[in-house]
Amino acid sequence: MTAEDPRLDREPDDSFAIQTFGLRKQFGELVAVDSINLDIKKGELFAFLGPNGAGKTTTISMLCCLLKPTGGTARIMGYDINREPYRVKEVIGVSPQDTTLSEHLSSRENLNLVGRLHGIDPKKLKTWSQLMLQTMGLADRAKEQVRRFSGGMKRRLNIAMALIHNPDIIFLDEPTLGLDPQARRAVWSYIARLKGEKTILLTTHYMEEADFLADRIGIIDEGKIVALGTALDLKTGMIDTHTMVVQAWNLTQKLIIEMRERYAKIDISNGTMTITDKKIDFREIVDRLHDANVSIRSAYIKEPTLEDVFINITGKELRE
Amino acid sequence: MRFWQLFIRSLKETCRDVLALSFVLAFPLLFMLVLGISFGDSSPSYTIGVVDNDGSQVSQGFVDEAISMVPAFEVEMLDDAEDALEALKQGDLSVYIVLPEGFGQQVSYVLQGADGNIELDITYDESDLQVSGQVISTIDTVTRTFAGVEIPVTINANPINIETEVTSVDFIGPGIIIFGLLIMIPTSGRLMLRDKESRFLYRMLTTPARPWEFIAGYSLSMVLIAIIQIVIFMLLGWLFGMDIIGSIWLAFAIFLLTAICSIGIGMVVASLSKSENQGESLSWLFSMPLAILSGVWFSSEFMPSYIRTFADIFPFSHAVDAARTIITRGAGFEAVTGDFFFLCGWAAVVFTIGTLLFARTMRS
Repeated sequence: MTAEDPRLDREPDDSFAIQTFGLRKQFGELVAVDSINLDIKKGELFAFLGPNGAGKTTTISMLCCLLKPTGGTARIMGYDINREPYRVKEVIGVSPQDTTLSEHLSSRENLNLVGRLHGIDPKKLKTWSQLMLQTMGLADRAKEQVRRFSGGMKRRLNIAMALIHNPDIIFLDEPTLGLDPQARRAVWSYIARLKGEKTILLTTHYMEEADFLADRIGIIDEGKIVALGTALDLKTGMIDTHTMVVQAWNLTQKLIIEMRERYAKIDISNGTMTITDKKIDFREIVDRLHDANVSIRSAYIKEPTLEDVFINITGKELRE
Repeated sequence: MRFWQLFIRSLKETCRDVLALSFVLAFPLLFMLVLGISFGDSSPSYTIGVVDNDGSQVSQGFVDEAISMVPAFEVEMLDDAEDALEALKQGDLSVYIVLPEGFGQQVSYVLQGADGNIELDITYDESDLQVSGQVISTIDTVTRTFAGVEIPVTINANPINIETEVTSVDFIGPGIIIFGLLIMIPTSGRLMLRDKESRFLYRMLTTPARPWEFIAGYSLSMVLIAIIQIVIFMLLGWLFGMDIIGSIWLAFAIFLLTAICSIGIGMVVASLSKSENQGESLSWLFSMPLAILSGVWFSSEFMPSYIRTFADIFPFSHAVDAARTIITRGAGFEAVTGDFFFLCGWAAVVFTIGTLLFARTMRS
């Protein structure tokens, strides 16, 4: 457990915003978070990627001092979550997974409430909230009760409430959940602007979100971090196969059999052939298809995605 | 001053939610209006039979100056208990009272400050709920007023003006007001439970606000609503003919303390519950029997002693007694000191428990 973690014996390291030490949460028999050890540097945007129920929100809840860990601990800007919860709460901003707003208050009043609870001077808060409302595109609806807002507007306000008091660390739990692609892109651009200025811990189950935003990604499954690194590290380090996709008119059974003998994996679907192997030579495959009189509509090498990484890691083999 | 921000937010959220505010304010008011109209009108009339076995000046005075002064009562003197029982069986009487021998002497002792109580034999048809509830309670109040006996039995050193007309509304008014404040138990925790269900509370819990600040924030807005309610209740009571003989401020203080106790219980229930439905069910389950046991409608003096003892654990029977003592008998602070401090203590304890429970659920 944590007592053996040598990092705990040392003075808090100034370069880290978040450090977890064997952080664990168990609900009865279910281990929701299984002894996570993590170091997140100041100014880093770290994404927790994982399916629903993987333990992302439980981890954030513990780091925000809403849930008591069953074991282990964590330091947030040097403050221990078990011993100094109120100090931790002073330095964090949280945007929960559900859009949680005071529905009969206006967007400005919601922002002011969080700001004042964090002890921000009213004059300063007035300027900050105006700026925040403008940034989030809510300035023209500042005085309107938020119960009349659309889902996208509420989501943006939800994020703004995490930022209004200028915290050192921002927790964004599934910030784009349920948004349409356009609104999701808009939220991404807001988050991208904060990169480098704030330490951000983001949870998501959208692969492209983590890929687009994160400096580092922790893939979490069944309460454990199963992979950790930059998106590039994960894609190159965790995937040892390559994939080529060919769309063609007249694929013959004979050719498919030949290809299956030559390459590790061949999938055929609606005139699309997907070839997977440790080594793929684009030219060689195109020539082979030409020689077999196949009319090629398109052909490309498919870059591995985080989804591939995720499937590769959390696939049957790993869980069995 | 974080609690102040939470208070302002709670107040805005409650006042802007028209439906919720209507329920909080209108439900008890409606209740009071209905009961006020029912009991405020002196039209219901009950024939009270009196058998005076004492035959003293005091017993005659009791009949003429106390029982007969109740507008709803029509007194019929009878020679003996047998005649009275026959008349009751025939439906000619609602109830009959037998004044025992030595009644006058006992009243004189009590008025002079000696320990003791007044004994009356009251016979009535127990299936007649209206009589058992209203008439007997009124006779009880009238008798105690006449003899200057407090509830529970203690001696009032300053006998109350026996010319005071104790009407049904004088008796039932304070009870209805206490009931109106008692049903703040389900309403006061509603906002916290809504915040729990919408998970807004969990966002607020990520701020540095302390448990007591949350409890204070939620409670203060309800205290403000309670003050408005008490003023309206007292005005309505006055409109329906409730005379406040004692200090209006002391009565107000008792009502306010009662409201604070109700809000405190509401905070405990809300801290324990996970949803609005759960909280409300628990609150109603708790508050309705408590209202009956505390004697808000019927005098608890007629209940078995173990029920009275149980009811006395809670603040509402004390509040009812204190309010009736002030309103109908004009007693001062010294007569209700015990009840007053009991209510203060109860408020302190229930808010401490509420805060501790809230703190526990803050980080489970």
